[in-house]
Amino acid sequence: MMKQWKLKEIVLMSIFGVVFAVIYLLFYFFGQGLRNFLTPFGLAPFGYEIIFGIWFIVSIIAAYVIRKAGAAFWSELIAGTVQVLIGSPAGPQLIISAAIQGLGAEAVFLATRYRNFSLYVLVLAGMSAAVFSYAWGWFQSGLAALTPGLIIATFSVRVISGALLAGLLGKYISDQLAQTGVLRGYALGKEWQEKREKSAS
Amino acid sequence: MISSVNPALKMVAILIPGVLLSFSFDIFTPLAYLIFVVAFTFMFSNIPVKKWLLVFTPFVFLALGFAWMTMLYTSEGFSGGSVLFEFWWFEVTTGGLMVGISLALRSLCFVALSLMFILTTDSTKFMLSLMQQFKLPPKLTFGILAGYRFLPTFKHEFEVLRQAHRIRGIGRAKGVKGRIEQFRRYAIPLMANAIRKAERVAIAMESKGFTGETDRTHYHHMTIGKKDWAFFASIVGTFFIVIITSYQLGYLNIFGRQF
Amino acid sequence: MKNQHLNQGDMKRSNLTPLIRVENLSFDYDKKGPSLIHNISFSLNEGEVTLLMGASGSGKSTVSLCLNGLYPEAVEGYSEGNIYFRGQEISQFEKGELNQQIGIVFQDPESQFCMVTVENELAFTMENIQTPREEMASKMDDVLEAVGLTDLKERPIHELSGGQKQKVALASVLLLEPELLILDEPTANLDPVSSLEFVELVNQLQKDRGMAVFIIEHQLDDWISFTDRVLALSREGELFADGSPDHVFQKYEKRLVSEGVHLPKDIQSSSLHPATRTTDDLGGETVSIQNLDFKRKKKTILSEVNFSLYQKEFVAIVGENGAGKSTLLQVMAGILTPNKGNITFLNQPLKQWGEQSLRQKMGFVFQNPEHQFITDTVYDELAFGMKLNGTPEQEMKEKIDELLRHFQLQNHLWSNPFSLSGGQKRRLSVATMLDETPELLLFDEPTFGQDAKTTEELMSMVLELKNKGTTIVFVTHDMDLVDQYCERTFVLNKGKVAFQGSPDELWKKEEVLVEARLRLPYRIRKQRTEAGEVYDLVR
Repeated sequence: MMKQWKLKEIVLMSIFGVVFAVIYLLFYFFGQGLRNFLTPFGLAPFGYEIIFGIWFIVSIIAAYVIRKAGAAFWSELIAGTVQVLIGSPAGPQLIISAAIQGLGAEAVFLATRYRNFSLYVLVLAGMSAAVFSYAWGWFQSGLAALTPGLIIATFSVRVISGALLAGLLGKYISDQLAQTGVLRGYALGKEWQEKREKSAS
Repeated sequence: MISSVNPALKMVAILIPGVLLSFSFDIFTPLAYLIFVVAFTFMFSNIPVKKWLLVFTPFVFLALGFAWMTMLYTSEGFSGGSVLFEFWWFEVTTGGLMVGISLALRSLCFVALSLMFILTTDSTKFMLSLMQQFKLPPKLTFGILAGYRFLPTFKHEFEVLRQAHRIRGIGRAKGVKGRIEQFRRYAIPLMANAIRKAERVAIAMESKGFTGETDRTHYHHMTIGKKDWAFFASIVGTFFIVIITSYQLGYLNIFGRQF
Repeated sequence: MKNQHLNQGDMKRSNLTPLIRVENLSFDYDKKGPSLIHNISFSLNEGEVTLLMGASGSGKSTVSLCLNGLYPEAVEGYSEGNIYFRGQEISQFEKGELNQQIGIVFQDPESQFCMVTVENELAFTMENIQTPREEMASKMDDVLEAVGLTDLKERPIHELSGGQKQKVALASVLLLEPELLILDEPTANLDPVSSLEFVELVNQLQKDRGMAVFIIEHQLDDWISFTDRVLALSREGELFADGSPDHVFQKYEKRLVSEGVHLPKDIQSSSLHPATRTTDDLGGETVSIQNLDFKRKKKTILSEVNFSLYQKEFVAIVGENGAGKSTLLQVMAGILTPNKGNITFLNQPLKQWGEQSLRQKMGFVFQNPEHQFITDTVYDELAFGMKLNGTPEQEMKEKIDELLRHFQLQNHLWSNPFSLSGGQKRRLSVATMLDETPELLLFDEPTFGQDAKTTEELMSMVLELKNKGTTIVFVTHDMDLVDQYCERTFVLNKGKVAFQGSPDELWKKEEVLVEARLRLPYRIRKQRTEAGEVYDLVR
């Protein structure tokens, strides 16, 4: 399964997982604050939904940078597991939600046979992760107990958030990284190098 | 003792109730199981009560917040029963209150289960047993361990960045744009450094003769024995006993459907 | 597993066949332009200690990774030529086989481990070579004893000091029982005492085990006494010297200097004079510190610190790792607040300074230049501070042009700061602090792991500022630098100032030096050796 992967790609993916586990955890508390802020306006359920996309971002970044089958899935799963190991209030079922979100993003990359990593595909992957995660949340975090109007509204917000905070922001961060030159040994860095050479000649 | 249970099997044992609990919407089921998990934790481990409480208590408040929100936004399928009180445009029913408390107890169950795992498990051995028992490829196992090892260095590096930015004259970020800019200013150097380290570690590992092949010896020989299955049976078995009891007493509620 | 029949076959003619033979090796990351390593040939013999010199960026590390067959594949680079291990072309070895005969200790102590504890890291190596489990414990204990880390077996690696980490790296490589030990600038990130300890350990192990050692370094002093042969790599990636140390240093002295190699101080004729320490024409007081205490989580880091700094003064803060040097610097910069005591800066309490005006008058250069970069281009980096201060457009452009010229960054105006070379990053990090001439400039280990040329460039910039009236403070481990440039030095030991005064006085206080684990500068060591006294403090 990991035959085509280089060790440095696996380590990189894992480090991404660890970095984003910390960022995810920070956003968990940020979301808590956001929800408390929105509660008086009757918008509490949107507290997390607005920023939900951030929880899919590692999938997008890992897949876009490394471009190998499984990058989106494994990186998200690692981030989820590390969050549990450093003590996330969401508990062990976070590992399952991470796996499902990762699968959501992975499905889109698989559909392009890992050949297309344009902005459009990345945004789609972010949205797909949102759809998968909502479906799972339906069972797991009691979304089913909400009123139908609210379900439609929260679902839409989450998908939009997935498109923007995972797809768009993920691409932006990766491109910024590629600009620093440190990704020279990975697929995205090579693409940048080629572009630069073309524009130079 | 829980700390000597095979970590991979321990994870599976905890995930099963961790996932299945999500289907219950009554109060009895999560409450009974929570009591069991807490009792089991203290009976079969050396975790100091004080330490456990220190980690657990903040989650009680989180759980209460969670309960409050659910209570206000319960859908019709769950919000049966008489109206308890109203304010603004919210109407709180007994049904809503029940679901709210149930969800709060459920999240506390998750926390108690996680703590049982985290506080008794060595993360290295967890990965090693995933490799030895669940056939996770060594390349992935040691790749993940190598990444995990950097966790303590991030905190330090973050602190240094914060100071360096202050020297450059950057104050607190204002507004959404400022915050995104600030996020970028931290994320890029942190990640750029991480990427370089990833490359160096990978090279160092390979130069120590690591090939990623499965034919390697094991310093920590991880096994699954009777004791491990006994743990598995207690955690998962008790969960089903609680469900059955709950059903017999008429409390069980799955997705708003009473049984 | 080791290739038994090959070993035996070669044993008889080991005097004839070198351990490693490199023929016309070229290497680069891409195929265009002149290659990073250009057509080099050399051999490494059994039991011999060989040292490879060259400035940073000359591709020294690349050579070592080519030798054990990880390059070019690991970086998808391109190479030409042949490398033979005991007469067999390395591409004919199976994956991992060669790595088990060639052990490498790398430069960065932070990134060569994959396990949390010392014990597990050592086990990882043994598992790779399929050491039977029953043998692991005793092998581990033996190697820990050999490197002197027996007590640290169960400790997490990230809690160890840099020197201890490098010994762990050495121990895990020794478990491979390698024929060849490669050391890739293993002491570049260590303090002088730890560095010397490491070198002596290698010396000892080499004598005990008789393996071949290949050292890649640009700081030669400690190694040279047991080096049999020296190779030198030019900036163009060509090998221009190969021979005994005496021969090479005699014949190629000029070339080596121009290539930015730190020559062993034995051979250096210049730069051994101490500073002409000016004490009488100092300007007014810049900083004054009274009764300063600093605690971190109830642990005292600094206590009862008192001193003043003056204009045009160059001061060094020295001491062991963990003595509180960097903390003191950060307290002086106002990024940490002391628990007790007063700090005045330009006759005004530090607390009363506005953040913006303080940052204009005071600069701080971090150990790792990258930490200070906050924008995408060199131009924006330089413009950042001026924009913040509302400098008019025209003036800003002129100032930036001047800085670019002065720091030789004109050709990198739109480069990303992270993509610059080590020396360029260092220059840029200093340049960003100079949008206005600061009254006080603080440096945290600015010369760590830099080659001779970068260090020299930095020092000339610093002296220029000093002459304009800026107070310069260095936290450093480099006692030669202290001896050569500083007016005064403060020795910190366990959070207290154990000594303050001129370096020349410090060199006489043996108990202070021993207590704070400091080495004497080379100039003094030489004087004392000539006078027949014990030459060094460690041992």
